[in-house]
Amino acid sequence: MSARDDEIRRVLAELDVHIAEVEASVAVLKALMADGEVPGEEDSDPKPG
Amino acid sequence: MGARKRPASSARMPALADATGETLRLWRESMGWDVPRMARELRKVARDSGEDVAAHHGLVKMIPQWERGNRAPRDRYRLLYVKIFASTLNDLSEGMAIGTDAVLRFAEVRARAALLPGPDEIQALEDDALAKPRETMTPAEIRAVAAEAIAHLHEVSDKLAELSALLGGDDPGEDNP
Repeated sequence: MSARDDEIRRVLAELDVHIAEVEASVAVLKALMADGEVPGEEDSDPKPG
Repeated sequence: MGARKRPASSARMPALADATGETLRLWRESMGWDVPRMARELRKVARDSGEDVAAHHGLVKMIPQWERGNRAPRDRYRLLYVKIFASTLNDLSEGMAIGTDAVLRFAEVRARAALLPGPDEIQALEDDALAKPRETMTPAEIRAVAAEAIAHLHEVSDKLAELSALLGGDDPGEDNP
């Protein structure tokens, strides 16, 4: 049971990573659609004034 | 009257008591419940255990706030969540012969997987993104992002099938993307 539990946990962890990757990529595509910006791309630091 | 009963399984469910708003939302969605249904379930279990809770419309307002993390549910509501989900998750745990924490993670992961778009939807997003010139990403980069998303989506399907096999023929992949 312990080995099986470990295996289940491993697969769950891998699933978690793959789901996060899909979510992140989809967020990028949706952000492009929304306003043409990609989230997290802050290559400049505009200062007021 | 009014005595608060502690759920018998709460000691086995620390993850439930510590659940984030996002987790509360995922659990609700994993049951296929909308917010009004969640409110009804909370009121039902509260009534069964003699707890006083907010009116239905109040809960309908509070649940999204808890799920967004704008407000934290008070202890009595956390206990109601435990009562609702502990029995379901413990049943799953026994049925799958795995630990409750693994079942919790499984329920979360399955709910997240069910919310993912399919390959066709990702392809449509790619097409739409490519239709207009972008300053932030080149077409090649957009295609790469979409391809990566679809590749990971296939991995999700494969891992859900692997999990299904590990769990002994249960059907966690019913909502495979």
